[in-house]
Amino acid sequence: MRLSYKWLSEFVDLTGVSPEELATRLTAAGLAVDSVEPRNHGVSGVVVGHVLTCERHPNADKLNVCTVDVGGAEALQIVCGAENVAAGVKVPVALVGSRLPGDVQIGKAKLRGVASEGMLCSARELGLETRWLPAHRTNGLFLLPQTAPIGRNVVELLDLDDVVLDVDLTPNRSDCLSLRGFAYEVAALLGRENQFDAVAKSQTSELSSAGPLKIHLETDACSVYAGQVMDATHKSESPLWMQMRLLASGVRPIDCLVDVTNYVMLEWGQPLHAFDADCIEEETIIVRSAAAEEVLVTLDGQTRILDETMTVIADPTKALGLAGVMGGQNSEITSTTRRIVLESAAFHAGNTRRTGQRLGLHSEAQQRFERGVDMAAILPALQRATDLLVSLAGAERDGGPVVVGAMDGNTLSRSIAFSPARCNRLLGANIEPAEMRSIFHRLGFTLTGHDTAGEWSVMVPTRRMDLQIQEDLVEEIGRIHGLDSIPSTLPELWISKEAVHLDHRLRSATRHALAWQGMNEVFTYAFVSEGAANALLLPDHSPLAHPIPLMRPMSEERSHLRTHLLPSLAEVALHNLSHGAAGGQIFEIAHVYLADSLPLLQRPSEPWMLGCLWFGSTPESFSERPRLYDFYDAKGVVESWLTSLGFDQLQFRPADESWLHPGRSAQVLAKGVCLGSFGQLHPLVMRSLRLPHALYGHFDLDKLAAHLPEHRLVSPLPKYPQSRRDVAIIVPEEISAEELLKAAEDAVHARRGEVALRAEVFDVYTGKGVPAGHRSIAMALTLSAEDRTLTEDEIQASVDGVVESLAEKYGAILRGQDSGHASRME
Amino acid sequence: MHQEAWNEELQALREEALESLRLSVDEASLEAWRVRYFGKKSQLTAWSRQLGGMDPEERRAVGQQLNAVREVLESGYKGQLEEVRAQAIRHQLAAETLDVTLPGRARRVGTLHPTTRTIEEIEAVFLALGFTIAEGMEVETDEYNFEMLNVPKDHPARDMQDTFYLTDELLLRTHTSPMQVRVMKQIGPNQPLKVIVPGRVYRRDEDDATHSHAFAQIEGLVVGEGVRMSDLKGTLEAFAKALFGQQQSIRLRPSFFPFTEPSVEVDVRCIQCQGTGCRVCKDTGWIEILGAGMVHPHVLEAAGYDARRFSGFAFGMGPERVAMLKYGIPDIRLLYQNDLRFLTQFRRVLS
Ligand SMILES: [Zn+2]
Repeated sequence: MRLSYKWLSEFVDLTGVSPEELATRLTAAGLAVDSVEPRNHGVSGVVVGHVLTCERHPNADKLNVCTVDVGGAEALQIVCGAENVAAGVKVPVALVGSRLPGDVQIGKAKLRGVASEGMLCSARELGLETRWLPAHRTNGLFLLPQTAPIGRNVVELLDLDDVVLDVDLTPNRSDCLSLRGFAYEVAALLGRENQFDAVAKSQTSELSSAGPLKIHLETDACSVYAGQVMDATHKSESPLWMQMRLLASGVRPIDCLVDVTNYVMLEWGQPLHAFDADCIEEETIIVRSAAAEEVLVTLDGQTRILDETMTVIADPTKALGLAGVMGGQNSEITSTTRRIVLESAAFHAGNTRRTGQRLGLHSEAQQRFERGVDMAAILPALQRATDLLVSLAGAERDGGPVVVGAMDGNTLSRSIAFSPARCNRLLGANIEPAEMRSIFHRLGFTLTGHDTAGEWSVMVPTRRMDLQIQEDLVEEIGRIHGLDSIPSTLPELWISKEAVHLDHRLRSATRHALAWQGMNEVFTYAFVSEGAANALLLPDHSPLAHPIPLMRPMSEERSHLRTHLLPSLAEVALHNLSHGAAGGQIFEIAHVYLADSLPLLQRPSEPWMLGCLWFGSTPESFSERPRLYDFYDAKGVVESWLTSLGFDQLQFRPADESWLHPGRSAQVLAKGVCLGSFGQLHPLVMRSLRLPHALYGHFDLDKLAAHLPEHRLVSPLPKYPQSRRDVAIIVPEEISAEELLKAAEDAVHARRGEVALRAEVFDVYTGKGVPAGHRSIAMALTLSAEDRTLTEDEIQASVDGVVESLAEKYGAILRGQDSGHASRME
Repeated sequence: MHQEAWNEELQALREEALESLRLSVDEASLEAWRVRYFGKKSQLTAWSRQLGGMDPEERRAVGQQLNAVREVLESGYKGQLEEVRAQAIRHQLAAETLDVTLPGRARRVGTLHPTTRTIEEIEAVFLALGFTIAEGMEVETDEYNFEMLNVPKDHPARDMQDTFYLTDELLLRTHTSPMQVRVMKQIGPNQPLKVIVPGRVYRRDEDDATHSHAFAQIEGLVVGEGVRMSDLKGTLEAFAKALFGQQQSIRLRPSFFPFTEPSVEVDVRCIQCQGTGCRVCKDTGWIEILGAGMVHPHVLEAAGYDARRFSGFAFGMGPERVAMLKYGIPDIRLLYQNDLRFLTQFRRVLS
């Protein structure tokens, strides 16, 4: 809402309150002022001039030499290039020494040899709001009405000394979509009375007998309808002062009739509409629901197909307009219009909003109806518009206004119970009841009933539809009194059993563990294209292949909810590869969305997923050559992370996810439960995602949280030293390391129960000395017993047992043995 | 031999040995020197053996001289040995140098996303204030996202949050506020609670420097008997001080949210200019960081609470906005672009 400071000052005395001060007060009261902008952008010394003569410039085709009366002793000679300059017109004249916006100073000039004592001005040169002026007012000079007094300062004439406050209204404050609404607010804030009566009374007409119009309300979507028939309206411009107020308010001046309806809407908040009365059959207005597929051509020339939820203004034969949204072309005011019907009504808020949304229409009028108009303003606004048309456009009333529907404003105002004590309790403040009473009074609310019992009855006027319950009144007290006076306290402390749920902590621990391993966390969008997951080679029966669509997506790339994080992470990798990165390690923890069925019948499941992507090569460093990230980089991260969460005895088995390379990927199991998978991407997936080289890890964190191991007690430290022996054996390459180690441990356990053995791989070798299809695996065997230090013989017997057993089971050949590191305590 | 002769021999040996010692500048030659002058086959040893065949007086006199020479040589040897060893260490240290400016071999630490860092920081503040953390789902029903929050269908307040619908009833939540009712239903009825709800939310906004169709939000809700607006102010003041420094202060401005009454917007002193006015705060000295208010009685009732006994406050903030202010991030899209050159600037662990 653009608020004219000068216009507002007609309704409430603003003496001593600058526009900036007013803006601060309004903002502090919840009417946020976005900007305070003077209408004058630097005009001074510009006056009204009367062009007396206008001759072609002797040396230039496009210039004219004019003599202009500006009220001085002598007329001025001014050269002008505008096409619409002519003898007899009145125009703004920038005198020598005057200033124009953009720091322009006007001096004496010579144009093609002819002296010019000033400049005739266009709307743009004066800094007027040209975006709201019709083309004929912005092309060429800004012509002034013949009534403009010669020599008059244009700043005053055009209200350029006005200041516009742009207020960002919250949707509840429909009352402030009008000057009068603002006046109540400002009066309450400043503690001053408003001056409506002075304005209203002077123009109120005497009510004559009701006019000829017949009105029938056939729908609940209209509670009140008032109509005024008037004669002989012709199209003409509205007075300059009215045009300037409209411009200040951001409304386009059009002609006198339209300007008056807009002016009254700005003043009272009540939208008005004018029909050509001769287009209304039987002088009868019917407000009814539209018929299914009823057709109406609206004022903008569009053919609209209506439905039964919409409300139309009609005559007995046809629809004339969409109630509260837009008029119809069949009853539009034209140059041949002789009689009009002026409409002022209350249309149902939700109905108006729905209709506007279905038809994609949004007007100033509709904006007011959908927030609710003030019942008490319907008739006064109609009368005010009628008066203005009589006085400004020479129109004549055909009888008085005809009103149908529940009209009495007083019965519609609400009484709300209010307790000052409860108000202070809710605010935590200590505001005197007398101050509260004063605030209500200034807002125009009346107190009725006994206020001694500490319970008041506050009558709220119809313009404040937003106030329904006691808490609403508490807000009024708080915001007018000022929220600064509320002290700072802390609520009572009450402690709950589990402040942070396990799954939340698990995600946090995961983020930190991965970051410490060199992974960078990313945030990507949940919306992807319909085919985003196509790259993953998913079978059709997989729920991941069927993303949930948005009903009205903003673009095709963001039209579905993702089922998988890989495509999003691949996008991040591509961005970084194309911006100079040779590689990277990234991860994201986010929801994916899986539908039970499509179309969606219930809320989908939203598991928390972890996606890890290693792409390209490791960072360059003088101590380590860059190389492509490989399976063991990924495995190292995954193992460290899962170990940090308490998982031990993890098992790694080949994975069978469609997006992974079957030979270079693994699923991770803990106690038989698959926690997730990781490994090199399938070559076809990499190609579809346009990634040169990448590995992906995929974990369902909800599942992980459900299988998180219990806390364990510490194991006692060994009392006797452990001994280490290293053996290297040659085995067929299909024997996995895990299998070999387990067989070694089992062998000792089976033969010598009291001796404990832990086996670990420390080297793998293929090449010279190892037959094809085989590899040499070097294992560190750590031996110990609970009750004694093992003797050399015992140790050797155990190691021999391992080697024999492996030879038996896998045909393993001993390649070498070493006493390893001397016994080490761990 | 006469005593004088002994004396001469001994002095000659002493001079010779000391001269030779001076020339022994490493441990190996020092060891050779020691064997030569103190070993079993050394002159001193041989002479010591001869002492047995002397008469007592001569033995005493020669013995004394012998010992004197031995002591001089021994102490000389020790001194030289120490010096040689010290010299060797000095040489070793001088020879063993590195370019300490080359990068270390340690594993490079990764980074948490700035949004995560900020969310964790905010969570820590509220946990310390006795709040618990709850989370909800992103796909919500129209009922919880709007209707139970006092926003019926066709209410103009729906314009404030243009919505992504999946079906007529299911949508992507436009705020974390539906969790107000869900949490109250879970814990209540009529039980006090203090909870924050972090999560992602979605609105049909065109992405630009300050808008994103997807963004993070943290909801806060406190419900109890006698909870006041001053509690809201005190809590959010404590939050602002914890996050932006103890000198911070906040300002409440009346506003409108359908599910709170009274409603306020909360500003903090501009972090850029400390309140004197700058481009960031549009010369007001204040920056809006969150919306808040007293829980609307209709919402309490929708969740099964007795609105005459219980009151509460709620607030909602955008951690990304907080991160942008705190780290001077000019464009919210940087938070979703995930350029590693941007992300790796957040290595510092302390916030
Ligand atoms: Zn600032």
